[in-house]
Amino acid sequence: MRTIIFLLLIILAMLLQSTFFSFLQVAGVKPDLILMLVVFNGFLRGSREGAFLGFLAGLLQDVFTGNYIGINAITKMLAGYLVGLAEARFYKESVVIVSLVTFFAAILNQLAYYILLFYLDILVSPSSAIVGVVLPSAIYTTLLVPLTYWKFYSSNQKGWLRERES
Amino acid sequence: MPRLVSYKNFILLAILVGVALMAMRFTHIGRQALTPMEAAIKDGLAPVQSIFMQVGHSFAGGAHSITSLGHMVEENKELKEQIALLKGQLYQQEELKRENERLKNLLQYQDTYSEYFETKTAAVIGRDPGNWFGFVTLNKGSKDGIVKDMPVVTPSGLAGKVVTVSDNTSQVILITDPRSGVGALVQDSRVPGVLEGTTAGSDETRLIHVPKDTQLTKGQVIITSGIGGTFPKGIPIGRIVDVSDEPSGLFKTAMVVPFADLNRLEEVLVISNVFNPDILPSTEGD
Repeated sequence: MRTIIFLLLIILAMLLQSTFFSFLQVAGVKPDLILMLVVFNGFLRGSREGAFLGFLAGLLQDVFTGNYIGINAITKMLAGYLVGLAEARFYKESVVIVSLVTFFAAILNQLAYYILLFYLDILVSPSSAIVGVVLPSAIYTTLLVPLTYWKFYSSNQKGWLRERES
Repeated sequence: MPRLVSYKNFILLAILVGVALMAMRFTHIGRQALTPMEAAIKDGLAPVQSIFMQVGHSFAGGAHSITSLGHMVEENKELKEQIALLKGQLYQQEELKRENERLKNLLQYQDTYSEYFETKTAAVIGRDPGNWFGFVTLNKGSKDGIVKDMPVVTPSGLAGKVVTVSDNTSQVILITDPRSGVGALVQDSRVPGVLEGTTAGSDETRLIHVPKDTQLTKGQVIITSGIGGTFPKGIPIGRIVDVSDEPSGLFKTAMVVPFADLNRLEEVLVISNVFNPDILPSTEGD
């Protein structure tokens, strides 16, 4: 049940990102809402679930875009897994910590993506990759964390995203 | 310190990564057709995307009229509602006026070039959710006669080409996408080169492999060369903003800013038929 709701949130994030947020681009980039959800999930649930739902979320995004199916699945799984490692080590009620975790996860996620682009023979110069995509998108995504984290957190504690016994 | 990955999880992880790495290779952009599942997803999501796009557009334009309402706190409620309503109507009219202007531009363009090529108008209903690739989804597909590799233009200049088609939608790779390559020409000096994209958000492209002894200056206009056969010759692309030497020392590279505002595309023209084939050398690939 929780997985289904999470995946519905991912679909909503994806639709928003491909439509609404193309009018709200800053420095030429859109925020990565899907990654943000994967990070929140990994941070609150640990690396196992973080990696699993990261993979599913990325796979959905890949099927939606229709090209290079697997590229987002791998990079988002990595992000979910790494953030999950931080799960037991950090205080979960601090937005500052979540924001920092999101920032680093976004950077690593995009760098992994960049490496996979080489594997797919797509060459992007390092300067335009880092200045044009990696940094601005990580910053934009991080800035949206304080606006959304509490909603996700409380839903995970007592709302729709809570683990049901049944 | 807990174990990072258990044995069972590691096997599962390795399988997932392996399968994904294979799938990535097989679903590259040059493949002939979409799988039925992908086509169904694209067609199914198209109406939803259209609505979201509309909302986004209204929001971007309407945010200004909403914030300006904040100053009228003292006014009575009824008056405020009336003003909001009128502003809404005005905004809607403004929106219609702008749409009208854009469509008029498209029509004019169609008329001007009707002897060279035939075009179909399509609306942009979605963009790539990521930041690397410049991909847009159009609301016309194979049912409307759109075919893979058709060039896509706006009245101001070249936008890209169609790469995948489903029944009701088609996907366009923009010239700013890192995978895009367009045969190009400097308009005044006729120097040829290849125009490739950088990243989607940068809104810049690069004219590469231009011999070093040729004259390249800021402000020169770049047009399509027709080499490769996908794009008709002579479509304006953009203007040079910067020139630098390539590391090999043999060639120059020019940064070119496209004339078309690719980050804010709303309606585009798909060139469906070119009437003047002698300007299109029939070379394989591009």
